[in-house]
Amino acid sequence: MMNCAECQKRIAAYVDAELPPAEMEAVRSHAQTCAGCASSALASLERKLAIRRAGLRYSAPPELRARVFGLCRAKAEVIDRKPVMRSARAWLPQWSIAVAASMLVAAGLFVVANLRQQQRQSLGEFVDLHVATLASANPVEVLSSDRHTVKPWFQGRIPFTFDLPELQGSPFTLVGGRATYFHQEPGAHLVFAYQRHLISTFIFRDTSQLGLPAPPAATREASFNLRSWTQGGLRYVVIGDANAGAIRQLSEQLQHAQ
Amino acid sequence: MNAQNGSDDEFERLALPLFDSLYNFARWLTHDAAEAEDLVQEVYVKALKGFSSFESGTDFRAWVFRILRNTFLTSRTGLRARLTVPLELEDQETVAVTWETPESLVVASGTRQTIQDALERLPLSYREVILLCEVEEMKYQQISEILAVPIGTVMSRLSRARKILREMLAGERTARSTPAGK
Repeated sequence: MMNCAECQKRIAAYVDAELPPAEMEAVRSHAQTCAGCASSALASLERKLAIRRAGLRYSAPPELRARVFGLCRAKAEVIDRKPVMRSARAWLPQWSIAVAASMLVAAGLFVVANLRQQQRQSLGEFVDLHVATLASANPVEVLSSDRHTVKPWFQGRIPFTFDLPELQGSPFTLVGGRATYFHQEPGAHLVFAYQRHLISTFIFRDTSQLGLPAPPAATREASFNLRSWTQGGLRYVVIGDANAGAIRQLSEQLQHAQ
Repeated sequence: MNAQNGSDDEFERLALPLFDSLYNFARWLTHDAAEAEDLVQEVYVKALKGFSSFESGTDFRAWVFRILRNTFLTSRTGLRARLTVPLELEDQETVAVTWETPESLVVASGTRQTIQDALERLPLSYREVILLCEVEEMKYQQISEILAVPIGTVMSRLSRARKILREMLAGERTARSTPAGK
């Protein structure tokens, strides 16, 4: 059985979870029967949490985020495209360019029609996500009406940050949030309450992968009102069964917060 | 998709989620927004270029943080900060026995602002170790890789950093409770 001196010597490493398993267990057992060492461990843990809270201080400006993320993406695209362009030029005879151009116009019309169909499907998928989440037993992973709790919760869970509006004096309250995925993109799903309605706000990085119509979009899908826009390199989608005016008002408050 | 592009996808998957942490750490190191922006951007450029030398299966987070720290140390601010490191306190292999007295509650009860002020004033070698441990929640092994020092040194610096922080906050509290002019 560990004594107090041995336990105290290990408390810092214990709260850092850095002791070997047997010693972790020995400290835990000792602290269960020793109020002094238990309070020391608790004090260390509180100190650790206080420093963590204080240390999570700075948020990167959106311009830097866009620059860095763009840098990474541009590198991948340049590498992907270069060989294709070189090989195409190598074998195409001059006369074929005119023929190819006319074929591209025809193909383009087909692609545009197809793209619109895909974009409508993407909006429909957001409706599905909204309904499925609200129907689940735990619609939100972080439950809070306080934006200062919800926003930091997403840190480390999604590859971007966003600002939440001050809702005091508005008809909306923030219920909570959860991390979500859409077409393999990680994003934030926030749930707001408006009267007896729940409104979902999805936030993702604005990539073509999402397959959404060009913003701004205000539409109805399966009787849900929906608004979507792009801001600071992020794509926002607000969905709910509340009236279109409420969806617009919440969207504007989110836009002003950024 | 070629192999290089595949590795870029992998780079994005690994590196982009670290963006916020890297920026926060860079701000704490540099004390300056513009400098932190330059530093983070440079880190991504370097990491992207050097990604082929990164050994798959090893700790990517420690690898990127090490690039950030090394880049910072060769900057003008970094060089200046290194000169102010209290050398006599450096690299003590022994770990101080830390009796957690009620005094340690001083840190927990400090306001966010007073703790931030104290962290700002910590010498670089203590500030970085405490941020990596408490804020980034890294293991001693990861910190040892980033700082390129043995684990024993990580533990002794951490212990000392906590002690200094505690003393700073205790001093702050005493100063506040002492009426002006006395």
